[in-house]
Amino acid sequence: MPASSESTVRLPAGVALHARPAATFVKTALRFRSRVTVGTVDNVGKVADAKSILAVLALGAQGGSVLRLSAEGEDAPDALDALASCVSGLVE
Amino acid sequence: MSNLVGIVLVSHSLELARGLADLASQVAGEGVKIEPAGGGPGGSLGTSGDAVREAIARADCGHGVVVLADLGSSILTVRHLLEGKANGHVRLVDAPFVEGAVAAAVMSSAGQSLEDVAKAAEDARGASKF
Repeated sequence: MPASSESTVRLPAGVALHARPAATFVKTALRFRSRVTVGTVDNVGKVADAKSILAVLALGAQGGSVLRLSAEGEDAPDALDALASCVSGLVE
Repeated sequence: MSNLVGIVLVSHSLELARGLADLASQVAGEGVKIEPAGGGPGGSLGTSGDAVREAIARADCGHGVVVLADLGSSILTVRHLLEGKANGHVRLVDAPFVEGAVAAAVMSSAGQSLEDVAKAAEDARGASKF
């Protein structure tokens, strides 16, 4: 049975999840086999495929906001760890 | 980097093709070859088979090339060029120009296969902007 994990991580202040930071995030997600989604705490109903740049861009997550990450698959915990450290290290 | 899928952007306007290549490169980061092919002879609006052929050659690092085109006759130009030598290595995709280019560029920069890069561009059709 595939593992499923969730976590939250805050975007650095002043770094929105757009353009290059969004691409860095998506490229990190693409390194894993698990299905990964990302949502914002501000807009609970909206969830994006973390491996789709267009979906992540459409989230419009602002700098300093909290992201809700969810992964399902054999490497789900690793994916979430990598994404959490990716997000906290994002720069504009 | 030479192990990535190349991308060619074909537009009636050289400015449009170049601007989109800049945008997609900025988002995806260095590494992916994104080559514009736009405009007709003398800088007029149009498409040129020669310009497309040269752009494909520049974008090709041996791992395949995805070609996106803007409208109508630019599609025909690419199709005509690829006719008879379709070996699957150069793929014209049916995708929205801007979103498809950005999606393809990011997938390529992540080292994904020609198949996956082409699919990301085509899937861009269903993506909402907000």
